[in-house]
Formats: sequence, structure tokens, C-alpha cells
Amino acid sequence: MYSVETRSLSKSFGTVNAVNDVSFTVKAGEIFGFLGPNGAGKSTTIMILTTLLKPTSGHALVSGYDVMTHPKQVRQSIGYVQQESTVDEYLTGRENLLLQARLNHIPKDQINKKIDDILELIELSDKQNDPVITYSGGMRKRLDIAGGLLHQPKVLFLDEPTVGLDIQTRRKIWEYIKKIHKEFQMTIFLTTHYMEEADQLCDRIGIIDNGKIQVIDTPENMKNAMGNEIISLTFENENSEDFLSQLSQIDLVKKINKDNDKFTLFVSSGTEVIPKIFQISVALGIKITSISLTRPTLDDVFISYTGREIRDDDTGFNRKREHAKMKRLRA
Amino acid sequence: MNSLLYDTYTIFWRELKRYRKSRSGVLIRLIQPSIWIIVIGNTFSGTQPLIQSVGFEGQYIEFMAPGVIILTAIFTSIFGGVNTLWDRRYGFMNKALTSPISRSSIALGKMSAISLISALQASLILGIALAIGVNFPNPLMIAPIMAIVILFSLGFSGISVIVAATAKSQETFWGVINFLGMPLFMLSPALFPLELLPDWLATIAKFNPVTYTVLLVREMMTGVTEGGISALLSIGIILAFVLVMIGLASYVFTREVNKPF
Repeated sequence: MYSVETRSLSKSFGTVNAVNDVSFTVKAGEIFGFLGPNGAGKSTTIMILTTLLKPTSGHALVSGYDVMTHPKQVRQSIGYVQQESTVDEYLTGRENLLLQARLNHIPKDQINKKIDDILELIELSDKQNDPVITYSGGMRKRLDIAGGLLHQPKVLFLDEPTVGLDIQTRRKIWEYIKKIHKEFQMTIFLTTHYMEEADQLCDRIGIIDNGKIQVIDTPENMKNAMGNEIISLTFENENSEDFLSQLSQIDLVKKINKDNDKFTLFVSSGTEVIPKIFQISVALGIKITSISLTRPTLDDVFISYTGREIRDDDTGFNRKREHAKMKRLRA
Repeated sequence: MNSLLYDTYTIFWRELKRYRKSRSGVLIRLIQPSIWIIVIGNTFSGTQPLIQSVGFEGQYIEFMAPGVIILTAIFTSIFGGVNTLWDRRYGFMNKALTSPISRSSIALGKMSAISLISALQASLILGIALAIGVNFPNPLMIAPIMAIVILFSLGFSGISVIVAATAKSQETFWGVINFLGMPLFMLSPALFPLELLPDWLATIAKFNPVTYTVLLVREMMTGVTEGGISALLSIGIILAFVLVMIGLASYVFTREVNKPF
């Protein structure tokens, strides 16, 4: 059984198809990253999966229950941590968790123990009786996340968990997410704009744009599918023919561009190729003056599926205009 | 049923916690009714003969004090639902909507918290009235009066929750609430006896639940029955009003929160 499953899911607002025939599955225990530009359909999808919106057509199942026919069972199975902080500022940290426990029908005799445990996990035990208005952004986010997993849901939805936080706090939140995932083994469905975040946390990633899933795969496969890593090197030697021919015999090297005393190598595993380059250069007495390795990042993957900024110049402009138009429509 | 009560209590608890943290608001909200009772109560003290002509012995201020208590209840409860709009904007509503609690319990929890707060505010006004010398022969009536105020406010908070759930903006909410609040107060015997109203206004007032609440509370405070409307009839009408509002508010709230905000 899948934790999350959608079949031809669609949602339209008037003439705009916010989500258009989307089908995907998330396995139990997986951290699944849902990526896409603003207005791509991420929020709409998450709102359907959390029973806040009804789909126009298609099906969505969460923890085996259809969101349309069994919304109550879906709500019992999920935790939802929204993008904006939803903790009550005037209540203390503990009171906020108490509210969350009651909203999620945690049996009375377990409430205090669960709150104690979760406060320990997110390291807020010593601040639990302070009003949340005195908390920093990172502490509020931790409390938000704690509230979402207090009742140990089968599926935890995290909507942009680190938006607006500084990089130190962001990393700390990633640690907490990894920690809770290890501890509770629940499925995590996460949306984000930060490729680094997706890369760090997610087992698999789905990229959505224009209401459609563009690709679903592991971050590693996606980056590999981008193709080659690039090694650029410069050297001091006029007789480069031998060097070139020997370099091109390395298995992992796919292609070499030559430009006077600069080679650009397209390789499939840069870290393995670089030592070989040095072995050859030493044997030939060639002095390498600089070398660099560029690997495709998830940013490149993302841009390649969603970005209008790259690709041909002549179509790029039109795509950008079309994108701006869509954004206005979605706003 | 059990879980509906538990869920309603959860929301009720949260609303009261929030109210408790906004103590300054309590005093500010007392200013307006205090002005009513002190300024209007004394300004119109010369209308005593008019009041007496319909069988009410005593000062004008004693006649209108119950009206101001109800005024406090009307405005506290009809304004009380406004935080529904904040809850929807700032995500608390989505948090509640994605938890297993029922939609109706959110509306009912808010309404019961508002009505308790309303009764608290009204009891403070009653205190002020007594402090400035309003005669109140039977202090034992305080408990039943507060029970009536809670009941009445429960109904009125339903209006507030309905408007807040339907309105998409603060402006709409305040526009509608101001349009409703003052006329409902004015079209009642809160300040003057029904007998002194022109016939057509008196007829309209008879369809107003505020009318029966004012008459009932005044009877409980002064012992005078007006216009031949018995306490039992008033209680019946208030109960019917409250039941209708509970049903309507649950229905409208559930329907509205299922739409995107």
C-alpha cells in the first residue's frame, strides 16, 4: 500500500487548471520532496491531500483512504505543518501542544507524556512555559513541526518547512526532520523551493510545473541524468597531441573540447578521472596549471524541467512572458 | 456526540485562553456601555412620567439598566466572531480543519466561548449599574439573569460566526455587523417601553429576540411584567432563537470553510 497515491488528479479554478491530470505514488516511510516554481500547483495538491480542497476530478488516497469519501480517516492519519507559523502567540509552547493534542484526539492519559517527549526531541523543554510570542522564528517552526507529529501521524505534510529562516536554523530544522523521521518512521511529504533542502532530505523528488508532474526520481538519478560532469584544465605545454590522445582513452571520458592550452572534458565520474589525468600528465612531463570539476546540481535539474530562463534565446522571451501571464492568472 | 462535546470544549478552551491574555480589551469594551448607562441614563431621567404611564414605578435609569446589560451582550457577542477571519488568514483554521474534529465543533466552541465572555462583560456592567445606585431588590436573581445572558449571547454569537465565515474580509464583516447590531438594539424596548413605540415599530420589535430578552431581564431585575408578555413566553422564544442559531451557524460555517479562502 502506498502512503500517498493520486490518480489523474485535477483541480481547476474557473478556466485555470491548477492541477492537471497528476498521478504519482509515495511509498510508506519515504521522504518525498514536491518541488515546483511558485504557482506550479504544489499548494493546491497539498490542500487536496490534506482534505482542505476537493479535487475537480481524479482520485487522491492518503494512507489508503480516499480524500473525497473518507476525509475523517485521512485527517486521523495525517499531520500538517503549514508554511506560515500557526502556533498561538499568546499561549505558551506547552499550551499550544496541548491544544494540538486535543485537536487530534490523543487519549487523555497519554497527552502529558507525549508532550514531554516531543519537547525533549525538539529541545524546547526549558522554554515550554513561556508564551510563544517570546520565541524566535526557528523555535516557532520547531514547535509547529512538533505539533504536526505529536499524534504520530502516518503521513506528515511539511509545507516549505524552512522558508524565511536563516541558514543555521535551516540546517538545524533539517536535523530535526531527519531525527523525527528516524524515530517515528512516518512518511514525509515535503514541499520546498530550496534544492539543497530537497537534496539533503528527500529519498525521491517530484517536480511539478504548470499543474503537471514533469519528473519523479531520486535526487542522485536526476543529477546523473543531467549527464556529464565537466573538468576544465589548463596546462603549460605546446605539444598537447599525445596528452589529448591519452586522455581520450580513459573510459569515463566521453568527449574533449580543445582550445589551445585549455581542455574541457565531459566525463561521467569526475572524481575518478582527475587522478588519471595527473598520472598521464606526470608521465608525459606536462605541467597542469589549473583544474576544476563542475557537477550538475539539483538546481540544474530543476531549471531544466521548469526554467524558462535557459534554452534558446528566441523562445526564452516568449516563455517568460507566458510564465508571467500564468502567474497573474494564478494569483 | 461525546466527541462533538470534547471538540467543542477544545476550541472553547483555546478561545478563552486567548481572551485571558488580552485583559486590556476587557476594560476598553466596558467604556461604551458605561457611557450609555451614565450619560443616557441620567440625560433621560426626566422621562420618568412616560415610563410610569406604562406601569413602571422607579427611576428611568432602573428601567434602562437591563437594556444596557443586553446592549453589552449584543455587542460583545456580535463582534466576537471576528477572530474567525484571523484564524483563516493565519492558518489556525486550516490546522483545525485538517485535524479529526468536526467543523460544527469549531463553530460551537467559538460560540460558547463568546457567550461566556459576553456574560462576563455584562456582569461587569451590572456591577457598574449597582454601583451608581440602580435598585436591585433580589440579588439572588443574578444567577438566572446571567444564565439568560449566556443563552441569548450564544444565539447572537451565531450571527457573528455566520457573518465571519461568509465574509472574506474584515471590511465586509464590520460593515454587516454594524448594519445588524445597532438596529437590533434600537428596535427593542431596551431604552423605551414598547407601548411608546409607533405601532409599526412595535410590530417589528415583536420579531426581535432582543425584545424578549430585555423584557425578561428587566422583569427579573425589577419584578415588573410589561406588555403582557410572560416570562415563560420570553424564555421559549429565546430558546427557539438559540436553537435556530446553533443549527444555522453549524451549517453555514461547515459549508463556508470547505470553500477556499
